[in-house]
Amino acid sequence: MLFDQKQRPWVIAAALILIVATAVYIPYAILSPQGPRGGSAIGLAFGIAGFALMIFAGLLGARKKVPVWRIGRAQTWMRGHLWLGLVALPIILFHAGFHMRGTLTCVLMILLFTVIASGMFGALLQAYIPRRMTIEVPMETIYEQIDHIRAQLREEADQLATAACGTLQGAPSAPVAGANTAATASAVEIGVEVSEEARSQLREFYLRRMRPFLNAPAAHRSSPLADAPQAAGLFEELRLRMPPELHDTLKDFESICEEERQLTRQAKLHRVLHAWLLVHVPLSYALLALAAVHAIVALRF
Amino acid sequence: MTPASISLTIDGRQVSVASGTTVFDAARLNGIRIPALCHQQNEVPVGVCRVCVVDVGGRVLTASCVRPAEEGMNVSTTSAKVTRARRTLVELLMSDHPSPCARQQQSGDCELEILARAEGIETPRFARRDSSRGRDDSSVAIAVDHDACILCDRCIRGCDEIRHNDVLGRMGKGYRAGITFDANQPMGDSSCVSCGECMISCPTGALTNKFHVGTALHVGEPASPELLKGLPVFSGVSGTFLELNRGSVVTRHFRPGEIICREGEYGSTAFYILEGRAQVSINTQIGHVKTEGGARGFFSKLSSRLARGAEDHRDEETDRRTIPIDAPADLPLTKPVAELGPSDLFGEMTCMSFYPRSATVQAVTECTVLEMLRNVLDILQRNKNFRGQIEENYRRRALDSHLRSVPVFAQLTPAFIDHLRDKVELLRYSPGQVICRQGEAADSFYLVRIGFVKVSQTHPGGEMILAYLGRGGYFGEVGLLGGGVRTATCAALDHVEVVRIAAEDFRLMMDQFPEVHRSLEAVALGRQQENRDRLALVESTPLQDFLAQGLMEAQSLLILDLERCTRCDACVRACADAHDGVTRLIREGLRFDKYLVATSCRQCRDPLCMVGCPVGSIRRRNSLEVIIEDWCIGCGQCANNCPYGNINMHPFTVNLVDPESPGRTRAVVKQKATSCDLCTDHVEPSCVYACPHDAAHRVDPRKFFGQLLARSKGD
Repeated sequence: MLFDQKQRPWVIAAALILIVATAVYIPYAILSPQGPRGGSAIGLAFGIAGFALMIFAGLLGARKKVPVWRIGRAQTWMRGHLWLGLVALPIILFHAGFHMRGTLTCVLMILLFTVIASGMFGALLQAYIPRRMTIEVPMETIYEQIDHIRAQLREEADQLATAACGTLQGAPSAPVAGANTAATASAVEIGVEVSEEARSQLREFYLRRMRPFLNAPAAHRSSPLADAPQAAGLFEELRLRMPPELHDTLKDFESICEEERQLTRQAKLHRVLHAWLLVHVPLSYALLALAAVHAIVALRF
Repeated sequence: MTPASISLTIDGRQVSVASGTTVFDAARLNGIRIPALCHQQNEVPVGVCRVCVVDVGGRVLTASCVRPAEEGMNVSTTSAKVTRARRTLVELLMSDHPSPCARQQQSGDCELEILARAEGIETPRFARRDSSRGRDDSSVAIAVDHDACILCDRCIRGCDEIRHNDVLGRMGKGYRAGITFDANQPMGDSSCVSCGECMISCPTGALTNKFHVGTALHVGEPASPELLKGLPVFSGVSGTFLELNRGSVVTRHFRPGEIICREGEYGSTAFYILEGRAQVSINTQIGHVKTEGGARGFFSKLSSRLARGAEDHRDEETDRRTIPIDAPADLPLTKPVAELGPSDLFGEMTCMSFYPRSATVQAVTECTVLEMLRNVLDILQRNKNFRGQIEENYRRRALDSHLRSVPVFAQLTPAFIDHLRDKVELLRYSPGQVICRQGEAADSFYLVRIGFVKVSQTHPGGEMILAYLGRGGYFGEVGLLGGGVRTATCAALDHVEVVRIAAEDFRLMMDQFPEVHRSLEAVALGRQQENRDRLALVESTPLQDFLAQGLMEAQSLLILDLERCTRCDACVRACADAHDGVTRLIREGLRFDKYLVATSCRQCRDPLCMVGCPVGSIRRRNSLEVIIEDWCIGCGQCANNCPYGNINMHPFTVNLVDPESPGRTRAVVKQKATSCDLCTDHVEPSCVYACPHDAAHRVDPRKFFGQLLARSKGD
């Protein structure tokens, strides 16, 4: 979601609603002998308008549940959700006369502020994170496929290591289904002719540093392989130490580690991009439910 | 007056032979063996290899195969001079011969290599030639290795003198000399009937029998060459060839109700019905997804369901009354069943081009069929008798339905079709062979019967592919209705058979049927305009990196602006909801700049997916969207052909008539190809409509990326 020209009509509409509401509220607040109250006619009108705006904003969730219904484009609903939802805050404040009198209204006001704040935060994240993800994760995949891709990377790395070093004795097996274990990999014939010493060094590096990193990247955040510049330095050093016959394998290893880092980055950004919804959505439902209770209680009693 | 017999001495033996006998034959008749390579008993001797040299006491040695014996002649076949000369000749031939050659490898009986071994020649003293004279693998039955050819001409004499086919000849001089087929055509494209005479005449591995994987069929009873030669359709086929390909034809008997072949299966054989009748059919069609509601009212709910052709006609569908299959009959769309009888051949496309079986064939009565492999079918199709019979069958039984399956010809009267019956020609083309060339005079109109034809135009910038035409497709009308010159080149993509209607018959048809004339003219104008538009777009589009990604071929791309996309997958869910739960897009694919080209049908201008569909169920609708018809048999050919992975096979559970228990149905899972249909029933595709972040767009790549590239150039 970018704040572009297409938002303009909605910004104008929201601003107009706010101006009109303010124009009504100021004389109403000044002229009311008891000050602005939610129970007054104008206060009630503000309440109804604010609740209606909140309901409209909340309907976005329902709209998303029926994507093929031709009831307006989802992006139109999204813009309405953003701007009308935002306008709901001052309207509700006008309704309450900037007071939080009872416990319920106090809770409602806190919820409203939280929902609006989390929504604004989410909108900002949605404007910022996709751009970062696009730049930082060129090898991006479908989020749900990340574990599968990781298993494939481990399998590929095992095969490369086995082809270069022979049997990977003692390699811890990957816990994810679909990945070949070291035992399977050991069956692969050695495809590179190098000295036993070089092979041993590469095996050592693979088993002690790279494989643990690939197996559990989250537990190895301090590994030099988790950081691109450090990893580049480490591989450069390995290239200096190892014969040219192994440089292709090292290049492939480096590329696998890079992809793993990108997957980790993607997973993290994805979580950040969507985690705010865990606050925003349940609190929105709670807000709507309590607002309905508040309306019934206020009108009946 | 020549005496009736003459006497001469050969290697010290006094012999007497009939006058006119050659020295070679005189020796042979008296049990004296003279080695020879270019000479065979059943061919006129030519004396080109000179290996049969003998010493008759003259100034030079003489070739015994062409030298007539003379009264009192003293012949030596084993003198030191003769032996030395023969050895040198064989050594020279061996220096230019790949050893072991294909024949030596196959059967160890290359005459040259046997002779060389007998002469004790292991490594020739002379240098080998640097460059190869090449191979010709275009024939299905015979492999040609020009490097192994010793220019003995035995094959040429076999073809001309024995078989009277007059296909083989000589070409070139010196090191470039070699055998040639017709006017230097590849053997497979020539008029060679693959009788095998050249192959059995060849003393080396220059012409060898091609062995195919699984040459022998392991079902039915192997049909012996004797049995086959007794069948009228095999008359004229070389017995040697049948002997060499023993096991490639089997006789199979089917009881009523038994399945001969099933739709969608891959195979490599064709069937020829000898006796009995069989029913050819396509199983229950899977309906296409029909999305309803919404379009009429803003707040009405959309629902998607599988709709059959009978209840929901798509555009153009009402005109299309038959389903093209790999048999001499097309199937009616409403009831896709037809009957085949004696002397019908089916499964040609499967056999020749390895396409999946297009229909299920089931015996109706006791049925005897010949099942044959590609090498045999190829020979049969070159055989005049067989071709004649197949053409006759086509003219009498299939021409009518074939012509009428093409919407523009639906108006033709039975009388005119009768007129065409004896006029049309069935022509065969091998893969890559040009049927008509751009710029040539337009002299015919063509209708595709078997295989796929590529239509392309040559421009200064290169070749532009205009279309792929399958069975029911036609071409040649633009040239005939226009200036009389071909505007495009049409070439066979695989083994193609076309029906040729000569220009005069085409004109007669235009005169007699103004409606057909008008329809064809409209088609021709439409095609010309489409080609012009395409060319204009090609010329105006900057050639940048993205062209290499095949994006230029797309007509419509689903792109996701990655800076807007929050990876919420609303597009994928919307697509699945709009298509009966099966998504037709995957949010992954190529990236260009900040855009992701999602894995979803691109509606290519060059739709490779359409090539090879055995039942023509994938087609383009209104020149844009590619759709898959209900009668898709689920073979997966289109999914394999799509270079971008945008067609997927999905399982659907359907109730089918059980072919093994007629009258009963059973639920089976049947695959059907699915691809993006652009949700054309609606203003906007569902994926785009459902994106809350304005990230998903369907775009014309030329315009979209053209602007983008122009902007980046400006920067």
